[in-house]
Amino acid sequence: MKAKSEIGQSPLVKIVDSLGEQATLVQFSSAFCSPCRATRALLTDIAATNPGITHVEIDAEKELALVRTLHIRSTPTTVILDSDGREVGRAVGAPKREQVLHALAILQ
Amino acid sequence: MSPSNLIDVRGPRFAATITTLVLASALLTQSIWLLLAQTVVFAIGAGLGPHRSPYGLLFRKLVKARLAPPTEFEDLKPPQFAQLVGLLFSVVALIGAVLDVPVIFAGAVSAALAAAFLNSVFGYCLGCEMYLLIKRVTHHSNSIRAFVAR
Repeated sequence: MKAKSEIGQSPLVKIVDSLGEQATLVQFSSAFCSPCRATRALLTDIAATNPGITHVEIDAEKELALVRTLHIRSTPTTVILDSDGREVGRAVGAPKREQVLHALAILQ
Repeated sequence: MSPSNLIDVRGPRFAATITTLVLASALLTQSIWLLLAQTVVFAIGAGLGPHRSPYGLLFRKLVKARLAPPTEFEDLKPPQFAQLVGLLFSVVALIGAVLDVPVIFAGAVSAALAAAFLNSVFGYCLGCEMYLLIKRVTHHSNSIRAFVAR
């Protein structure tokens, strides 16, 4: 049981578990980042109003290995994954609603 | 994140504007006293929070009442981080002044000035751009193996 809960904490498992049927918005945030709040509100809203799209927020500071692997340099960075978990795009900085919706529309 | 940690986003922008003016004056007049005053402001902002720094108080007492009610809020931590970065630059500049090395003084004041200017004019978020990079450089993790091990 202990091993299972430890696996459950892995960011990759967190992402895979919540992969959306159409797309997943993986947001990397940090404590000293004000646009991260606005980005969280926007992406949460998009996920709530679009079935098949999910939003996962990762604390970049705690997941430096993943941050290095994905070459995340600043927060917020939003990585858009398709239904198979492949990266299809990313937004560095606070994205606008239209930008996210446009990127998602291309996926469909 | 409790709402009490949230402040009007215009506060830090106002403070950054004053900081820009003070640092520009310090740079032009080579004034160590202006820089010292700004260093104290940075120290209070970094230690107690930007809302308790002199510029933060000035904003709340004099400016805020004349503006429309706040519509955007931000967490205290990002501007507090920016104050800490400003403090580090200004301490380096003070050391440069004390050691009588004008290049260090001018370089460090310019760096702090650039950050404050970008913040006041473009709302540039120092913590967004620098914090993760600093973490990436200072904290070693054994890359992808860290996941596999978990």
